[in-house]
Amino acid sequence: MAEMRDRYDALVIGGGIAGMQAALDLGEQGFEVLLVERTPSIGGVMVGLNKVFPTLDCSSCICTPRMAESAHHPRIRLQTYTEVRSVEPVGTGFSVNLECKPRYLHEDTCIGCDECELACPIEVPHEFDYGLGARRAIYIPHGNAIPQKAVLDLEHCVFCGKCEKVCPTHCIDFTAEAKHARVDVGAVIVATGLDILPMDRKPEYGGTLPNVMSPLAMERIQSSNGPYGRVLRPADGKIPRSIAYIQCAGSRDRSIGVPYCSRVCCMYALKQALLLRHYIHDVDVALYYMDIRAFGKGYEQFYRRAVAEGVNVIKGKVARVTQTDNFDLILRVELLDEGGRVDEHRYDLVVLSQGLIAAWHPDGVIDIEDADDGFIHTPEIKLNPSFTTMPGVFVAGVAAGPKDIPDAIVEAGEAAMAAANYLKRYRWRSSKPAVAVA
Amino acid sequence: MPEPTAAKADKPKRAIEVLRERHGGMSKELKDYFNEQQKIYKALRAALKNGPRTVPQLAKECGLPSPTVMWHLMALRRYGQVLDGPEENGYLRYTLPGA
Repeated sequence: MAEMRDRYDALVIGGGIAGMQAALDLGEQGFEVLLVERTPSIGGVMVGLNKVFPTLDCSSCICTPRMAESAHHPRIRLQTYTEVRSVEPVGTGFSVNLECKPRYLHEDTCIGCDECELACPIEVPHEFDYGLGARRAIYIPHGNAIPQKAVLDLEHCVFCGKCEKVCPTHCIDFTAEAKHARVDVGAVIVATGLDILPMDRKPEYGGTLPNVMSPLAMERIQSSNGPYGRVLRPADGKIPRSIAYIQCAGSRDRSIGVPYCSRVCCMYALKQALLLRHYIHDVDVALYYMDIRAFGKGYEQFYRRAVAEGVNVIKGKVARVTQTDNFDLILRVELLDEGGRVDEHRYDLVVLSQGLIAAWHPDGVIDIEDADDGFIHTPEIKLNPSFTTMPGVFVAGVAAGPKDIPDAIVEAGEAAMAAANYLKRYRWRSSKPAVAVA
Repeated sequence: MPEPTAAKADKPKRAIEVLRERHGGMSKELKDYFNEQQKIYKALRAALKNGPRTVPQLAKECGLPSPTVMWHLMALRRYGQVLDGPEENGYLRYTLPGA
Protein backbone atom coordinates (compact mmCIF):
# COMPACT_ATOMS: atom_id res chain seq x y z
CA MET A 1 0.00 0.00 0.00
CA ALA A 2 1.16 3.49 -0.84
CA GLU A 3 2.18 5.69 2.11
CA MET A 4 0.12 8.65 3.34
CA ARG A 5 0.97 11.92 1.60
CA ASP A 6 -0.40 15.44 1.83
CA ARG A 7 -1.61 15.73 -1.75
CA TYR A 8 -3.55 13.33 -4.00
CA ASP A 9 -5.19 13.47 -7.37
CA ALA A 10 -8.48 12.13 -6.06
CA LEU A 11 -10.25 11.37 -2.82
CA VAL A 12 -12.72 8.48 -2.88
CA ILE A 13 -15.08 8.48 0.11
CA GLY A 14 -16.33 4.98 0.88
CA GLY A 15 -14.63 1.59 0.50
CA GLY A 16 -17.57 -0.46 -0.73
CA ILE A 17 -17.67 -2.04 -4.16
CA ALA A 18 -18.35 1.29 -5.96
CA GLY A 19 -15.63 3.18 -4.10
CA MET A 20 -13.08 0.43 -4.64
CA GLN A 21 -13.92 0.23 -8.36
CA ALA A 22 -13.63 4.02 -8.77
CA ALA A 23 -10.29 4.05 -6.90
CA LEU A 24 -8.93 1.17 -8.98
CA ASP A 25 -10.05 2.75 -12.27
CA LEU A 26 -8.31 6.01 -11.34
CA GLY A 27 -5.22 4.22 -10.03
CA GLU A 28 -4.93 2.22 -13.26
CA GLN A 29 -5.02 5.46 -15.24
CA GLY A 30 -1.97 6.71 -13.29
CA PHE A 31 -3.74 8.93 -10.75
CA GLU A 32 -2.78 8.94 -7.07
CA VAL A 33 -5.86 8.07 -5.01
CA LEU A 34 -6.75 8.37 -1.32
CA LEU A 35 -9.48 5.83 -0.50
CA VAL A 36 -11.14 6.61 2.83
CA GLU A 37 -13.42 4.18 4.68
CA ARG A 38 -15.12 5.01 7.98
CA THR A 39 -15.31 1.41 9.29
CA PRO A 40 -12.29 -0.74 10.18
CA SER A 41 -12.48 -2.73 6.89
CA ILE A 42 -13.24 -2.07 3.26
CA GLY A 43 -15.76 -4.24 1.40
CA GLY A 44 -18.96 -2.41 2.32
CA VAL A 45 -22.28 -4.24 2.30
CA MET A 46 -21.25 -6.60 -0.50
CA VAL A 47 -18.60 -8.49 1.48
CA GLY A 48 -21.28 -9.49 4.01
CA LEU A 49 -23.70 -10.86 1.42
CA ASN A 50 -24.09 -14.59 0.91
CA LYS A 51 -24.50 -14.86 -2.86
CA VAL A 52 -25.27 -12.45 -5.68
CA PHE A 53 -28.14 -12.60 -8.17
CA PRO A 54 -28.73 -13.84 -10.82
CA THR A 55 -25.57 -15.94 -11.03
CA LEU A 56 -25.58 -17.15 -7.41
CA ASP A 57 -21.83 -16.53 -7.26
CA CYS A 58 -20.37 -16.28 -3.78
CA SER A 59 -20.43 -12.56 -3.00
CA SER A 60 -17.28 -12.37 -0.90
CA CYS A 61 -15.42 -14.46 -3.51
CA ILE A 62 -16.08 -11.65 -6.00
CA CYS A 63 -15.57 -8.81 -3.54
CA THR A 64 -12.39 -9.88 -1.72
CA PRO A 65 -10.11 -9.82 -4.81
CA ARG A 66 -11.22 -6.21 -5.39
CA MET A 67 -10.52 -5.46 -1.72
CA ALA A 68 -7.02 -6.95 -1.93
CA GLU A 69 -6.33 -5.14 -5.20
CA SER A 70 -7.41 -1.81 -3.68
CA ALA A 71 -5.30 -2.36 -0.56
CA HIS A 72 -2.16 -3.34 -2.45
CA HIS A 73 -2.37 -0.98 -5.41
CA PRO A 74 0.80 1.17 -5.65
CA ARG A 75 -1.21 4.33 -6.39
CA ILE A 76 -4.00 3.84 -3.84
CA ARG A 77 -3.56 4.87 -0.23
CA LEU A 78 -6.17 3.05 1.84
CA GLN A 79 -7.22 4.83 5.01
CA THR A 80 -9.70 2.74 7.04
CA TYR A 81 -11.43 3.71 10.30
CA THR A 82 -11.24 7.31 9.12
CA GLU A 83 -13.94 9.96 8.83
CA VAL A 84 -13.95 12.77 6.31
CA ARG A 85 -14.73 15.82 8.44
CA SER A 86 -14.71 18.50 5.75
CA VAL A 87 -14.06 19.04 2.05
CA GLU A 88 -13.54 22.68 1.14
CA PRO A 89 -13.06 23.96 -2.42
CA VAL A 90 -9.69 25.62 -3.01
CA GLY A 91 -9.27 26.80 -6.61
CA THR A 92 -10.23 23.86 -8.81
CA GLY A 93 -9.24 21.39 -6.08
CA PHE A 94 -10.22 20.66 -2.49
CA SER A 95 -8.74 20.80 0.98
CA VAL A 96 -9.82 17.74 2.97
CA ASN A 97 -9.83 17.32 6.74
CA LEU A 98 -9.67 13.71 7.98
CA GLU A 99 -10.07 12.19 11.41
CA CYS A 100 -8.27 8.85 11.78
CA LYS A 101 -9.87 7.01 14.69
CA PRO A 102 -7.60 5.00 17.00
CA ARG A 103 -7.63 1.19 16.81
CA TYR A 104 -5.57 1.20 20.02
CA LEU A 105 -2.81 -0.81 18.41
CA HIS A 106 0.08 -0.31 16.02
CA GLU A 107 -1.28 -1.33 12.63
CA ASP A 108 2.17 -1.98 11.22
CA THR A 109 2.94 -4.65 13.85
CA CYS A 110 -0.54 -6.21 14.29
CA ILE A 111 -0.45 -9.57 12.50
CA GLY A 112 -4.20 -10.27 12.79
CA CYS A 113 -3.58 -13.42 14.83
CA ASP A 114 -6.83 -13.02 16.84
CA GLU A 115 -5.10 -13.76 20.18
CA CYS A 116 -6.38 -10.48 21.66
CA GLU A 117 -9.96 -11.28 20.66
CA LEU A 118 -9.75 -14.78 22.14
CA ALA A 119 -8.47 -13.34 25.44
CA CYS A 120 -11.13 -10.61 25.72
CA PRO A 121 -13.82 -11.62 28.28
CA ILE A 122 -16.91 -9.75 27.01
CA GLU A 123 -19.25 -10.47 24.08
CA VAL A 124 -21.35 -7.78 22.41
CA PRO A 125 -23.59 -7.82 19.31
CA HIS A 126 -21.54 -7.86 16.12
CA GLU A 127 -22.43 -5.16 13.59
CA PHE A 128 -21.24 -7.39 10.72
CA ASP A 129 -23.95 -9.93 11.65
CA TYR A 130 -26.54 -7.19 12.25
CA GLY A 131 -26.55 -8.00 15.95
CA LEU A 132 -27.40 -11.69 15.55
CA GLY A 133 -23.87 -12.86 16.29
CA ALA A 134 -21.27 -11.80 18.83
CA ARG A 135 -17.87 -10.21 18.77
CA ARG A 136 -15.61 -9.12 21.58
CA ALA A 137 -14.53 -5.65 22.65
CA ILE A 138 -11.28 -6.11 20.73
CA TYR A 139 -11.83 -7.96 17.48
CA ILE A 140 -10.89 -8.57 13.86
CA PRO A 141 -13.89 -7.08 11.97
CA HIS A 142 -14.56 -10.34 10.08
CA GLY A 143 -12.78 -13.19 8.37
CA ASN A 144 -12.46 -11.38 5.05
CA ALA A 145 -11.61 -7.96 6.52
CA ILE A 146 -8.95 -5.89 4.84
CA PRO A 147 -6.82 -4.86 6.60
CA GLN A 148 -6.77 -7.97 8.82
CA LYS A 149 -6.05 -5.84 11.89
CA ALA A 150 -7.80 -5.80 15.24
CA VAL A 151 -9.72 -2.83 16.56
CA LEU A 152 -10.60 -2.03 20.17
CA ASP A 153 -14.16 -0.86 20.82
CA LEU A 154 -13.57 1.31 23.86
CA GLU A 155 -17.27 1.65 24.62
CA HIS A 156 -17.41 -2.05 25.57
CA CYS A 157 -13.89 -2.46 26.98
CA VAL A 158 -13.77 -3.85 30.54
CA PHE A 159 -10.20 -2.51 30.95
CA CYS A 160 -8.79 -5.89 31.99
CA GLY A 161 -5.62 -5.51 29.90
CA LYS A 162 -5.67 -9.19 28.84
CA CYS A 163 -5.34 -8.30 25.14
CA GLU A 164 -2.08 -6.48 25.82
CA LYS A 165 -0.69 -9.41 27.79
CA VAL A 166 -1.36 -12.04 25.11
CA CYS A 167 -0.36 -10.02 22.02
CA PRO A 168 2.68 -11.80 20.55
CA THR A 169 3.93 -8.68 18.76
CA HIS A 170 3.20 -6.22 21.60
CA CYS A 171 1.21 -4.06 19.19
CA ILE A 172 -1.53 -2.99 21.62
CA ASP A 173 -1.29 0.72 22.36
CA PHE A 174 -3.80 1.95 24.94
CA THR A 175 -2.36 5.45 24.73
CA ALA A 176 -3.39 5.95 21.10
CA GLU A 177 -5.54 8.95 20.24
CA ALA A 178 -7.42 10.13 17.15
CA LYS A 179 -5.24 11.85 14.59
CA HIS A 180 -6.22 14.63 12.24
CA ALA A 181 -4.77 15.08 8.78
CA ARG A 182 -5.26 17.68 6.09
CA VAL A 183 -4.72 16.68 2.46
CA ASP A 184 -5.22 18.45 -0.85
CA VAL A 185 -6.98 16.64 -3.67
CA GLY A 186 -7.95 17.56 -7.22
CA ALA A 187 -11.29 15.72 -7.36
CA VAL A 188 -13.65 13.86 -5.04
CA ILE A 189 -15.80 10.78 -5.62
CA VAL A 190 -18.57 10.14 -3.08
CA ALA A 191 -19.34 6.41 -2.85
CA THR A 192 -20.87 6.22 0.60
CA GLY A 193 -23.32 3.44 -0.12
CA LEU A 194 -26.54 2.28 1.46
CA ASP A 195 -28.40 1.54 4.58
CA ILE A 196 -31.76 -0.19 4.78
CA LEU A 197 -34.82 1.43 6.23
CA PRO A 198 -34.99 0.94 10.04
CA MET A 199 -37.02 -2.16 10.95
CA ASP A 200 -39.36 -0.25 13.24
CA ARG A 201 -40.50 2.26 10.59
CA LYS A 202 -43.72 0.32 9.95
CA PRO A 203 -44.79 -1.01 13.36
CA GLU A 204 -47.63 -3.05 11.85
CA TYR A 205 -45.01 -5.37 10.26
CA GLY A 206 -43.52 -6.28 13.66
CA GLY A 207 -39.98 -5.31 12.73
CA THR A 208 -38.81 -5.45 16.35
CA LEU A 209 -40.05 -9.03 16.91
CA PRO A 210 -37.15 -11.51 17.15
CA ASN A 211 -38.29 -13.66 14.21
CA VAL A 212 -39.00 -10.74 11.89
CA MET A 213 -35.71 -9.94 10.24
CA SER A 214 -34.09 -7.65 7.73
CA PRO A 215 -32.87 -8.99 4.39
CA LEU A 216 -29.27 -8.17 5.34
CA ALA A 217 -29.60 -10.20 8.55
CA MET A 218 -30.96 -13.08 6.41
CA GLU A 219 -27.88 -12.74 4.16
CA ARG A 220 -25.68 -13.30 7.21
CA ILE A 221 -27.79 -16.23 8.44
CA GLN A 222 -27.52 -17.87 5.03
CA SER A 223 -23.75 -17.28 4.82
CA SER A 224 -21.45 -20.17 5.58
CA ASN A 225 -19.58 -17.91 8.02
CA GLY A 226 -22.83 -16.56 9.48
CA PRO A 227 -23.72 -16.25 13.16
CA TYR A 228 -25.47 -19.64 13.53
CA GLY A 229 -23.61 -21.76 10.98
CA ARG A 230 -26.97 -22.60 9.36
CA VAL A 231 -30.45 -21.16 8.94
CA LEU A 232 -32.14 -21.00 12.34
CA ARG A 233 -34.62 -18.56 13.74
CA PRO A 234 -33.24 -16.05 16.26
CA ALA A 235 -35.92 -16.42 18.93
CA ASP A 236 -35.36 -20.06 19.80
CA GLY A 237 -33.01 -21.76 17.33
CA LYS A 238 -35.81 -23.61 15.53
CA ILE A 239 -35.06 -24.76 11.98
CA PRO A 240 -37.71 -22.76 10.09
CA ARG A 241 -40.10 -24.79 7.95
CA SER A 242 -42.15 -21.85 6.68
CA ILE A 243 -40.79 -18.43 5.78
CA ALA A 244 -42.58 -15.39 4.35
CA TYR A 245 -41.11 -12.41 2.52
CA ILE A 246 -43.03 -9.14 2.57
CA GLN A 247 -42.12 -7.12 -0.50
CA CYS A 248 -42.16 -3.33 -0.64
CA ALA A 249 -42.04 -3.37 3.19
CA GLY A 250 -40.07 -0.15 3.12
CA SER A 251 -40.36 1.14 -0.43
CA ARG A 252 -43.02 2.72 -2.66
CA ASP A 253 -44.66 4.02 0.47
CA ARG A 254 -45.21 7.76 0.90
CA SER A 255 -46.34 7.28 4.51
CA ILE A 256 -42.78 6.46 5.57
CA GLY A 257 -41.06 8.91 3.24
CA VAL A 258 -39.79 6.30 0.79
CA PRO A 259 -41.91 6.78 -2.34
CA TYR A 260 -39.35 5.26 -4.71
CA CYS A 261 -38.76 1.64 -5.75
CA SER A 262 -35.52 0.32 -4.24
CA ARG A 263 -34.88 -1.74 -7.40
CA VAL A 264 -33.13 -4.69 -5.74
CA CYS A 265 -35.69 -6.04 -3.25
CA CYS A 266 -37.55 -8.32 -5.70
CA MET A 267 -34.32 -9.91 -6.81
CA TYR A 268 -32.63 -10.32 -3.41
CA ALA A 269 -35.87 -11.76 -1.99
CA LEU A 270 -36.18 -14.24 -4.88
CA LYS A 271 -32.51 -15.16 -4.48
CA GLN A 272 -32.81 -15.72 -0.72
CA ALA A 273 -36.07 -17.63 -1.17
CA LEU A 274 -34.52 -19.91 -3.80
CA LEU A 275 -31.47 -20.53 -1.62
CA LEU A 276 -33.68 -21.33 1.37
CA ARG A 277 -35.28 -24.02 -0.78
CA HIS A 278 -31.76 -25.40 -1.29
CA TYR A 279 -30.65 -25.10 2.36
CA ILE A 280 -33.71 -26.48 4.17
CA HIS A 281 -35.42 -29.63 2.97
CA ASP A 282 -39.16 -29.11 2.23
CA VAL A 283 -39.27 -25.51 3.51
CA ASP A 284 -42.30 -23.49 2.40
CA VAL A 285 -41.20 -20.06 1.19
CA ALA A 286 -43.87 -17.52 0.25
CA LEU A 287 -43.21 -14.12 -1.25
CA TYR A 288 -46.02 -11.55 -0.91
CA TYR A 289 -45.61 -8.92 -3.61
CA MET A 290 -47.31 -5.96 -5.29
CA ASP A 291 -45.32 -6.23 -8.56
CA ILE A 292 -42.27 -8.30 -9.44
CA ARG A 293 -39.67 -6.00 -10.99
CA ALA A 294 -37.09 -8.28 -12.59
CA PHE A 295 -35.60 -5.72 -14.97
CA GLY A 296 -31.90 -6.62 -15.24
CA LYS A 297 -29.97 -8.95 -17.49
CA GLY A 298 -31.01 -12.52 -16.68
CA TYR A 299 -33.36 -11.38 -13.91
CA GLU A 300 -36.62 -12.52 -15.52
CA GLN A 301 -35.10 -15.93 -16.12
CA PHE A 302 -34.03 -16.04 -12.48
CA TYR A 303 -37.54 -15.18 -11.32
CA ARG A 304 -38.95 -18.03 -13.40
CA ARG A 305 -36.33 -20.41 -12.03
CA ALA A 306 -37.22 -19.47 -8.44
CA VAL A 307 -40.91 -20.15 -9.12
CA ALA A 308 -40.08 -23.41 -10.91
CA GLU A 309 -38.02 -24.53 -7.91
CA GLY A 310 -40.91 -24.04 -5.53
CA VAL A 311 -40.86 -20.44 -4.32
CA ASN A 312 -44.49 -19.53 -3.82
CA VAL A 313 -45.12 -16.00 -5.16
CA ILE A 314 -48.42 -14.54 -3.98
CA LYS A 315 -49.88 -11.23 -5.14
CA GLY A 316 -51.01 -9.82 -1.84
CA LYS A 317 -50.74 -6.90 0.47
CA VAL A 318 -49.78 -7.75 4.05
CA ALA A 319 -51.67 -5.67 6.58
CA ARG A 320 -49.97 -6.74 9.79
CA VAL A 321 -47.71 -9.27 11.47
CA THR A 322 -48.37 -10.53 15.00
CA GLN A 323 -46.52 -12.99 17.20
CA THR A 324 -47.89 -16.07 18.97
CA ASP A 325 -46.74 -17.32 22.39
CA ASN A 326 -44.22 -19.69 20.77
CA PHE A 327 -42.68 -16.97 18.56
CA ASP A 328 -44.53 -18.05 15.39
CA LEU A 329 -45.85 -15.20 13.25
CA ILE A 330 -49.35 -14.60 11.88
CA LEU A 331 -49.62 -12.61 8.65
CA ARG A 332 -52.92 -10.93 7.91
CA VAL A 333 -52.96 -10.48 4.16
CA GLU A 334 -55.25 -9.22 1.41
CA LEU A 335 -54.97 -11.70 -1.46
CA LEU A 336 -55.19 -9.57 -4.61
CA ASP A 337 -55.56 -12.50 -7.02
CA GLU A 338 -58.53 -13.78 -5.01
CA GLY A 339 -60.65 -10.66 -5.27
CA GLY A 340 -59.13 -9.04 -2.22
CA ARG A 341 -60.04 -11.85 0.18
CA VAL A 342 -58.47 -11.31 3.59
CA ASP A 343 -56.75 -14.34 5.11
CA GLU A 344 -54.31 -15.20 7.89
CA HIS A 345 -51.24 -17.42 7.47
CA ARG A 346 -48.83 -18.73 10.10
CA TYR A 347 -45.03 -18.68 9.52
CA ASP A 348 -41.90 -19.57 11.48
CA LEU A 349 -39.95 -16.60 10.16
CA VAL A 350 -40.68 -13.37 8.28
CA VAL A 351 -38.27 -11.25 6.24
CA LEU A 352 -39.18 -7.64 5.53
CA SER A 353 -37.87 -6.58 2.13
CA GLN A 354 -36.79 -3.19 3.42
CA GLY A 355 -35.98 -0.46 0.95
CA LEU A 356 -32.58 1.16 0.49
CA ILE A 357 -31.78 4.57 1.91
CA ALA A 358 -28.61 6.65 1.73
CA ALA A 359 -26.02 5.72 4.37
CA TRP A 360 -24.52 9.19 4.52
CA HIS A 361 -25.50 12.79 3.94
CA PRO A 362 -23.08 15.54 2.92
CA ASP A 363 -24.47 18.22 5.28
CA GLY A 364 -21.66 20.07 6.96
CA VAL A 365 -18.95 18.09 5.16
CA ILE A 366 -19.22 18.89 1.44
CA ASP A 367 -21.36 21.62 -0.02
CA ILE A 368 -23.28 19.34 -2.39
CA GLU A 369 -27.01 18.78 -2.32
CA ASP A 370 -29.16 15.82 -1.45
CA ALA A 371 -32.14 15.18 -3.71
CA ASP A 372 -35.68 14.93 -2.32
CA ASP A 373 -35.26 11.17 -1.88
CA GLY A 374 -32.23 11.63 0.43
CA PHE A 375 -29.65 10.39 -2.08
CA ILE A 376 -27.00 12.71 -3.57
CA HIS A 377 -28.56 15.02 -6.16
CA THR A 378 -27.35 14.37 -9.72
CA PRO A 379 -28.58 17.35 -11.77
CA GLU A 380 -27.32 15.98 -15.13
CA ILE A 381 -28.76 12.49 -14.69
CA LYS A 382 -29.10 11.74 -18.41
CA LEU A 383 -25.75 12.77 -19.89
CA ASN A 384 -23.47 13.07 -16.84
CA PRO A 385 -25.00 10.75 -14.24
CA SER A 386 -22.08 11.01 -11.80
CA PHE A 387 -22.04 14.84 -11.67
CA THR A 388 -23.15 16.44 -8.40
CA THR A 389 -24.06 20.07 -7.77
CA MET A 390 -20.38 20.96 -7.27
CA PRO A 391 -17.78 20.80 -10.08
CA GLY A 392 -15.04 18.32 -9.22
CA VAL A 393 -17.24 16.26 -6.86
CA PHE A 394 -18.70 13.10 -8.38
CA VAL A 395 -20.93 10.36 -7.03
CA ALA A 396 -21.01 6.60 -7.60
CA GLY A 397 -23.06 3.62 -6.48
CA VAL A 398 -26.05 3.66 -4.15
CA ALA A 399 -24.98 7.07 -2.76
CA ALA A 400 -26.70 8.44 -5.89
CA GLY A 401 -29.78 6.19 -5.67
CA PRO A 402 -30.81 2.54 -5.28
CA LYS A 403 -29.12 0.16 -7.72
CA ASP A 404 -27.75 -3.35 -7.95
CA ILE A 405 -24.07 -4.35 -7.90
CA PRO A 406 -23.45 -4.38 -11.69
CA ASP A 407 -24.98 -0.89 -12.04
CA ALA A 408 -22.93 0.38 -9.08
CA ILE A 409 -19.74 -0.90 -10.73
CA VAL A 410 -20.62 0.63 -14.11
CA GLU A 411 -21.41 3.94 -12.45
CA ALA A 412 -18.13 3.83 -10.49
CA GLY A 413 -16.28 3.51 -13.79
CA GLU A 414 -18.20 6.48 -15.17
CA ALA A 415 -17.41 8.57 -12.06
CA ALA A 416 -13.71 7.67 -12.32
CA MET A 417 -13.67 8.73 -15.98
CA ALA A 418 -15.46 12.00 -15.16
CA ALA A 419 -12.97 12.68 -12.35
CA ALA A 420 -10.05 11.88 -14.69
CA ASN A 421 -11.41 14.34 -17.27
CA TYR A 422 -11.77 17.00 -14.58
CA LEU A 423 -8.20 16.45 -13.35
CA LYS A 424 -6.80 16.61 -16.91
CA ARG A 425 -8.82 19.70 -17.77
CA TYR A 426 -7.39 21.64 -14.81
CA ARG A 427 -3.94 20.00 -15.06
CA TRP A 428 -3.99 18.89 -11.43
CA ARG A 429 -0.78 17.19 -10.33
CA SER A 430 -0.27 15.45 -7.01
CA SER A 431 3.18 16.10 -5.56
CA LYS A 432 5.11 13.54 -3.57
CA PRO A 433 6.45 13.28 0.05
CA ALA A 434 5.28 14.68 3.39
CA VAL A 435 3.81 12.14 5.75
CA ALA A 436 0.72 13.59 7.38
CA VAL A 437 -0.43 10.56 9.35
CA ALA A 438 1.75 8.03 11.15
CA MET B 1 2.20 -5.49 56.90
CA PRO B 2 5.39 -4.10 55.30
CA GLU B 3 5.37 -0.51 54.10
CA PRO B 4 5.48 -0.19 50.29
CA THR B 5 8.96 0.64 49.11
CA ALA B 6 9.58 3.97 47.40
CA ALA B 7 10.37 2.15 44.18
CA LYS B 8 7.02 0.33 44.29
CA ALA B 9 5.07 3.50 45.11
CA ASP B 10 6.65 5.33 42.16
CA LYS B 11 6.00 2.47 39.75
CA PRO B 12 4.71 3.96 36.49
CA LYS B 13 1.08 3.23 35.68
CA ARG B 14 0.38 0.52 33.15
CA ALA B 15 -1.07 1.76 29.87
CA ILE B 16 -4.42 0.05 30.59
CA GLU B 17 -4.65 1.97 33.86
CA VAL B 18 -4.01 5.23 32.02
CA LEU B 19 -6.74 4.35 29.52
CA ARG B 20 -9.15 3.36 32.29
CA GLU B 21 -8.58 6.68 34.09
CA ARG B 22 -8.83 8.70 30.91
CA HIS B 23 -12.23 7.22 30.08
CA GLY B 24 -13.57 7.06 33.65
CA GLY B 25 -13.52 3.23 33.76
CA MET B 26 -16.47 0.98 32.98
CA SER B 27 -19.90 2.57 33.03
CA LYS B 28 -22.47 1.15 35.43
CA GLU B 29 -24.51 -0.09 32.45
CA LEU B 30 -21.52 -2.00 31.07
CA LYS B 31 -20.67 -3.46 34.50
CA ASP B 32 -24.26 -4.68 34.88
CA TYR B 33 -24.28 -6.05 31.32
CA PHE B 34 -20.98 -7.89 31.88
CA ASN B 35 -22.03 -9.36 35.25
CA GLU B 36 -25.37 -10.50 33.82
CA GLN B 37 -23.59 -12.08 30.87
CA GLN B 38 -21.29 -14.05 33.17
CA LYS B 39 -24.31 -15.32 35.13
CA ILE B 40 -26.04 -16.44 31.93
CA TYR B 41 -22.93 -18.26 30.71
CA LYS B 42 -22.57 -20.00 34.08
CA ALA B 43 -26.19 -21.15 33.96
CA LEU B 44 -25.89 -22.37 30.36
CA ARG B 45 -22.67 -24.29 31.05
CA ALA B 46 -24.19 -25.89 34.15
CA ALA B 47 -27.23 -27.02 32.17
CA LEU B 48 -25.14 -28.32 29.28
CA LYS B 49 -23.02 -30.40 31.69
CA ASN B 50 -26.12 -32.58 32.06
CA GLY B 51 -26.07 -33.39 28.34
CA PRO B 52 -27.01 -31.93 24.93
CA ARG B 53 -29.86 -29.41 25.03
CA THR B 54 -31.95 -27.41 22.58
CA VAL B 55 -32.53 -23.69 23.06
CA PRO B 56 -36.08 -24.12 24.43
CA GLN B 57 -34.83 -26.81 26.85
CA LEU B 58 -32.05 -24.51 28.08
CA ALA B 59 -34.47 -21.61 28.40
CA LYS B 60 -36.77 -23.72 30.57
CA GLU B 61 -33.96 -25.13 32.74
CA CYS B 62 -32.24 -21.76 33.25
CA GLY B 63 -35.41 -19.72 33.59
CA LEU B 64 -34.35 -17.33 30.84
CA PRO B 65 -36.17 -16.04 27.73
CA SER B 66 -35.29 -18.19 24.74
CA PRO B 67 -34.06 -15.22 22.59
CA THR B 68 -31.57 -14.44 25.40
CA VAL B 69 -30.45 -18.06 25.53
CA MET B 70 -30.11 -18.19 21.73
CA TRP B 71 -27.90 -15.09 21.56
CA HIS B 72 -25.59 -16.13 24.38
CA LEU B 73 -25.40 -19.72 23.16
CA MET B 74 -24.38 -18.51 19.71
CA ALA B 75 -21.79 -16.23 21.33
CA LEU B 76 -20.32 -19.26 23.12
CA ARG B 77 -20.50 -21.23 19.88
CA ARG B 78 -18.66 -18.45 18.00
CA TYR B 79 -15.70 -18.86 20.32
CA GLY B 80 -15.69 -22.68 20.40
CA GLN B 81 -17.16 -23.07 23.89
CA VAL B 82 -20.30 -24.80 22.63
CA LEU B 83 -20.67 -27.23 19.72
CA ASP B 84 -23.56 -28.12 17.42
CA GLY B 85 -25.13 -31.48 18.14
CA PRO B 86 -27.74 -33.55 16.31
CA GLU B 87 -31.24 -32.34 15.39
CA GLU B 88 -34.17 -33.14 17.67
CA ASN B 89 -37.76 -32.33 16.65
CA GLY B 90 -36.77 -29.40 14.46
CA TYR B 91 -34.18 -27.96 16.86
CA LEU B 92 -30.44 -28.47 17.12
CA ARG B 93 -29.04 -29.77 20.36
CA TYR B 94 -25.89 -28.11 21.65
CA THR B 95 -23.08 -29.64 23.68
CA LEU B 96 -19.98 -28.60 25.58
CA PRO B 97 -16.68 -29.48 23.86
CA GLY B 98 -15.41 -32.86 25.03
CA ALA B 99 -18.76 -33.79 26.55
